Amino acid sequence: MLLGPGVVWYLGIAAFLFATGAFGVLVRRNPLIVLLSLEIMLNGANLALIAFSRHAGNGAGQIFALSVMAVAAAEVCVGLGLVVAIHRRRLALDVDALSELRG
Amino acid sequence: MLAITAGGVVVWAVWVIAGFACLASGLAVVSFTNPFYSALALIGNLGSLAVLYLLLSAEFVAAAQVLVYAGAVMVMFLFVTAYVGPRHEPPWAGGPSWKTLAAVLAAGAIFVEIIVAIGLTAGGRLRTSPEVGSVFGSPAWIGRLFLTDHLLAFEITSIVLLVAAIGGVILGSHTRRAVRGEMG
Amino acid sequence: MIAGAWLCLIAPLAGTVLILLGGTRIPRRAAAWISTISVFVAFAGAVWSFFGLRANASHDAHISTAYTWLAAGSFKVPMQVLVDPLSTMMMLIVSGVGALIVLYSIGYMDGDDEERRYFAYMSLFVFSMLMLVEGGNLLLLLVGWGLVGLSSYLLIGFWHERPSAVAAAKKAFIMNAFGDATMALALFVLIAHGSSLGYSESFATASHLSQTTVNLVALGLLGGAVAKSAQIPLQTWLPDAMEGPTPVSALIHAATMVTAGVYLIARTHPIFEDAPTIALVAAGLGAATLLMAGLIALVQTDIKRVIAYSTMSQIGYMFMAVGVGAYANGMFHLMTHAFFKALLFMTAGLVIHAIADEQDIRKLRGVGKLMPLTKWAFLLGALALVGIPAFSGFFSKDPILAADLHDHWYGVVFWLCGLVGAFLTGLYTFRLYFIVFPGEPSAFVREHLHLHHGKEGPWTMLVPVGVLTVLAVLGGWIQFQPFWEPITHWLAPVVPTEPAAVATNWDDAITSLIAPILGALGITVAWAIYGKKQLLAVPKIPWLQRLLEHKFYFDEAYDWAFYRPAVATATLWRRDFEEPIVLTAGSDLGEGTLELGEQTQRIQTGLLRTYVFFLGAGMAVIAVVFLLVR
Repeated sequence: MLLGPGVVWYLGIAAFLFATGAFGVLVRRNPLIVLLSLEIMLNGANLALIAFSRHAGNGAGQIFALSVMAVAAAEVCVGLGLVVAIHRRRLALDVDALSELRG
Repeated sequence: MLAITAGGVVVWAVWVIAGFACLASGLAVVSFTNPFYSALALIGNLGSLAVLYLLLSAEFVAAAQVLVYAGAVMVMFLFVTAYVGPRHEPPWAGGPSWKTLAAVLAAGAIFVEIIVAIGLTAGGRLRTSPEVGSVFGSPAWIGRLFLTDHLLAFEITSIVLLVAAIGGVILGSHTRRAVRGEMG
Repeated sequence: MIAGAWLCLIAPLAGTVLILLGGTRIPRRAAAWISTISVFVAFAGAVWSFFGLRANASHDAHISTAYTWLAAGSFKVPMQVLVDPLSTMMMLIVSGVGALIVLYSIGYMDGDDEERRYFAYMSLFVFSMLMLVEGGNLLLLLVGWGLVGLSSYLLIGFWHERPSAVAAAKKAFIMNAFGDATMALALFVLIAHGSSLGYSESFATASHLSQTTVNLVALGLLGGAVAKSAQIPLQTWLPDAMEGPTPVSALIHAATMVTAGVYLIARTHPIFEDAPTIALVAAGLGAATLLMAGLIALVQTDIKRVIAYSTMSQIGYMFMAVGVGAYANGMFHLMTHAFFKALLFMTAGLVIHAIADEQDIRKLRGVGKLMPLTKWAFLLGALALVGIPAFSGFFSKDPILAADLHDHWYGVVFWLCGLVGAFLTGLYTFRLYFIVFPGEPSAFVREHLHLHHGKEGPWTMLVPVGVLTVLAVLGGWIQFQPFWEPITHWLAPVVPTEPAAVATNWDDAITSLIAPILGALGITVAWAIYGKKQLLAVPKIPWLQRLLEHKFYFDEAYDWAFYRPAVATATLWRRDFEEPIVLTAGSDLGEGTLELGEQTQRIQTGLLRTYVFFLGAGMAVIAVVFLLVR
């Protein structure tokens, strides 16, 4: 018996997180913050997965969520490596300025 | 819907607080100009999400969230943010541009769309959730699932991590020499 | 007999091919002789098949098929050769007169740079004409028809550096193409209603058609005949065709090609008998042409053009004959006409060749004194043309008129036209004679006359002229209606004269009395006006003079009706459609593509946010689509 609000409310939060993360990715210019917004989106998805997993009684949702976490870690690793490399080159940390693949 | 029991009230209260924290920290992440503060807000977000996971009987995932995500990934974030140094994004000069407006609309559209999608497809069936046993969400249960039903996902995830680690090392090493060459 | 027919057909073709393969490696003379010998061989073949057919008991059609040339479903066209009285008669005329004229060309074209090309074309022409008369079905006839049109074009425009020659060649070809088209349409109708284009099968098909359909078929065939034989309304090309060398005019535009129309009507006479209205139209066109051409010939100043209009007029006689059903008479006149008209052209050619290629009769005066043989040859040919008794024209022209007289009320009209034509013939022919030959030579003539080693021409030119003179004088004696008629009897199995066109003895007598008298009257008037004594003056009627000099304004009418609208349409299309749209389409397309590329390039902003935005938007759209579909 699920106490508290129904699964739908969790899904609502997940949707809101996802939308917020999307907004952040579209609006912010600092690549670090873009990566953080990306994390928000992934977390939103995770929450939805867990909610459905609880609703269906199926463990696959939680497994998926754990995989998402692992992949998010990997992606952040590479992304931050890029940020460090950019910083080393003395380039501006601004996604609008980094518009050409050169060098 | 409101189960007026002591347990129910507590659950509701916890849910409201955790949910609110989640939403507020999410907005904070995208709003702060200082990336350090944004990272800290994200840590808060991850914590509240862990609470929500507990409410959904996903204990292992909640623990993993705190340990891995908040503990390792966010630490890495903070390291890099500190390394890169203080950066202040230029202030939102002259009010939001059309790009910001478009982004707001887009995000809003996504939000509405997801809600509508869920409502249209699952609607009534999401009202009540069935019982789950106590083993649901336990580490043993997750482990068994990983090693039996979802073995492929498990293995592939480990490969992904390996590749990412290698990639990170490469990204970190070569540039040093190149930068040296350019500056020299 | 059959072998003779094949030999007759193939020999000239072999001549052409040999000259083609020889190219510039063989001397020019060799090419000339190859061509001449090939046509003589063809004549031998024709003689062989003629005597073979004569020896045969039944003088019916013998068809020899080599192979199936064309096959489309159940429709087959074999490559076949037809040996029957009509075809052998035409074979003899074409190859005989052709051989003489090609021999004459050796002397006439001697020294020309492109002699080989000329002789290749001449052989090609003889082959085409023989294909036309020997072909065993209508499609092969059409093939020969088209090929003679081609050869005519090539030979008229032989001296292609002359713009007038090129223009004349194009004019001839285009007008003939019109005739070809109408003929093809007629053949299409026959194919649609039948399964074969063989002669007997086609006639059987035609007999089962409705009256309008068979009228259309006959009209189509008549269109081709009118174009090829230069009758009204498609006659304007023939005078211009005189731009070609004189032997070409002799062979193609006097003796053979222009008579192909008459042959066609005779050969397909069952179709014309099924469509009597059209046959009557043919006769009427012939009558109109013979008068018109005779009148125009009165004011021409070019020696060859006078003879050309004379040809047009005489073919009008032949059309009058076959139009009313007197096929044998028409064919007989075709034969004698070939003799004396070729003779006239060849003597004119002797004059032109000897006097610096001059053709204007106002400059050529008194030639007879310096070229007596030519004068006598021309005179005899002219007498034959006018139809003076004992000469060949008398025996062939008068029976035509007699046949017309016998046939209904319109026959009487044709008879009267023919009589007026006889007067005109005498007048214009002897106008030409009296201007050019008798009297004192003009200064121009004295200055430019250049004889060939003291003789009027090389033997290659004189021998054919001599042979044709004999034929023009004596050739008519072969048939003297109604006393002896071997030609009518010979042709009877294939082209029987229609009963309405069989002349009575009275018709023959009255015609043979009046027509020569009128001819002699024409000669007398010409002598009075143009002879030494100059008793009469040319009447001065300015409007008539202008009308005749402009050839009844046919050329101007066609210019207004066809040429100007075509040019205007073409200019309109070019200005309003081709230049702004089509020509710029290519460059516009290129420019447009470049611009499209540039616009598309702007999507590549390089900005991460733009890409993410599009990613998100695309995902949103897909989600909506999924929801709606489910």
